[in-house]
Amino acid sequence: MSEECFDHDFSLDDLLPQAERDRLRSALAVLLGAPFCLLDTQGIPLPCETEVAGERVPLVLELEPVGYLKCSCGDANRQRAAKVLVEMLLRNAARYRMASRLHVESVRADYEALQIKHSALQQSEARFRALSATLEQRVNEQVKTIEGTQRQLYQAEKMASVGQLAAGVAHEINNPIGFIRSNLNSARGYVQQLAELEPIIKARDANQLADVWQKKQFDGLLEDFSDLLQESISGADRVARIVADLKSFSSVDRGGVENADLNDCIRSVCNVASVHAAGHARIELELEALPKLNCNAGHINQALMNILLNAIKAIKENGRIVVRSKVANREIVISISDNGAGIPSDVLPRIFDPFFTTHDVGQGTGLGLSVCRDIIIAHGGRIEVESESGQGTTFVIYLPIPA
Amino acid sequence: MAEYDEIAGKLTFKLVYYGPALSGKTTNLMRLHDLVAAELKGELMTLETQNDRTLFFDLLPLGFRAPSGLLVKFKLFTVPGQVAHDGTRKAVLSRADGVVFVADSQRSQSANNGESFQNLMDNLQRVGLDMERLPLVVQFNKRDLPNILSEQEVHERWGGAPWPVTFASAVAGAGVVETFDMLLRAVYRHAENDYALAARHQLSEQDFVAAAIMAPVK
Repeated sequence: MSEECFDHDFSLDDLLPQAERDRLRSALAVLLGAPFCLLDTQGIPLPCETEVAGERVPLVLELEPVGYLKCSCGDANRQRAAKVLVEMLLRNAARYRMASRLHVESVRADYEALQIKHSALQQSEARFRALSATLEQRVNEQVKTIEGTQRQLYQAEKMASVGQLAAGVAHEINNPIGFIRSNLNSARGYVQQLAELEPIIKARDANQLADVWQKKQFDGLLEDFSDLLQESISGADRVARIVADLKSFSSVDRGGVENADLNDCIRSVCNVASVHAAGHARIELELEALPKLNCNAGHINQALMNILLNAIKAIKENGRIVVRSKVANREIVISISDNGAGIPSDVLPRIFDPFFTTHDVGQGTGLGLSVCRDIIIAHGGRIEVESESGQGTTFVIYLPIPA
Repeated sequence: MAEYDEIAGKLTFKLVYYGPALSGKTTNLMRLHDLVAAELKGELMTLETQNDRTLFFDLLPLGFRAPSGLLVKFKLFTVPGQVAHDGTRKAVLSRADGVVFVADSQRSQSANNGESFQNLMDNLQRVGLDMERLPLVVQFNKRDLPNILSEQEVHERWGGAPWPVTFASAVAGAGVVETFDMLLRAVYRHAENDYALAARHQLSEQDFVAAAIMAPVK
């Protein structure tokens, strides 16, 4: 058994430190009144003790003697009293030694246990750190993928609405181009007829000129020529206006954030959308003056267009769409109301969900209103909808005016 | 492994009373001190706090001389039962030659018994003692209290375990000596091969137990 163990058997020498031993010796000298010495278990005097003659009594600590007290006093009672005192002293010393050694052992054991726990914790911390490092990287990669996909989807949605618009716009442009071409054909005929006058005019024959003028009804021709040019000019203006609206709607000549009057946005979007409404619905504007707003006008146009196209689709015939704008509570409020089919109550909570659509496959991406809401939220605003089946639908857009 | 000092002719066994807080480990030692009439019986050394809770350990030394002159010494220790003193428990348990696990029979203490027994198993492993071979007796103490597990319930729960189970009411002294007797027999059987107690020291199991508990060997 190691000397360090708390329950290791103590020797007399262990239990009596030199300083205490000197004081004990002086006390015992008085008590016994005669020379004495302390012996170890083998009967050999402790260091610095001188052997004396006399009787010896055992000093018992637990069960067996740890040493002996030898004295020449010859008084058994005195010697027994001294033995009892020394034994008490030894027992207390042993108790203290054992407790202190055990304390050291248990502190060491606790410390080792703590160190083991500590290193286990450090290992698990390192594991978690490594995991969290890769986790962040993996999340970032996922976010990038999602953002990329989202951009593609939004682009697809934009292309889809542009495609829808293009069909209507083509029709609208085709019409004036048709009559302008026909007018130009007629004009070419008129020019040929006028060319017949050239030899007569060059001959300076006034009578023949008047005769031919009369016969060929050149008065009417000139009048008709003038009308036809006038009509072609208005046709070309109409095409120019449509192109201008289209450009303004798609903001091809503008980019990013600008200080825009949203009423202008509403007007251009309504002009473009009215192409689709022609015949079965009319669009009315009730616009109040709005402060200019820093916004991405192209995006706002897209949002308005998505709502307007939905409104137009909801109308069968004799429809009426009213677009209102006003300022209330430091917000620009734009409402778009139709008197169309309305949205069934079971569908209403889902209309802003991505990919939710009631249209047939190929008729829409299911992103129109989702994109619309995202655009408004990106501008710090909100969009609300009220609808009653068979009565119509009202979308209200709120956009905060910066203080 | 008992400690054998050939020069001094002394064989020392370290026996440890283990168990949850307040299960009666110190009381076992106090009653043994009163009841046992061994040839050599030391004073009970206690190291307790003001609330009578064991802080480090209690120690009761017992012993006898074998016919061969060998001094057989038993050092009976208790451990502090409170959970916080695990380092002390582990230190006291190290190099033990036998263990009495003192369980509290009260129904409310079943969880504490279980935790403490698991702690004993863990600490045995830590100090390098083989729980399969170490002499161990399980004592269900406090049989005098109400709301205790019945003996049948205890046997049902511990029947599958390889350790003998005893019942005691240490405050009244009942079962304390029987438990010690049972541990001594297991310790003798475990030590007999290593120290040739019967052949070299003329010490049979019966003599070994009797000398430790009742009277000097003739």
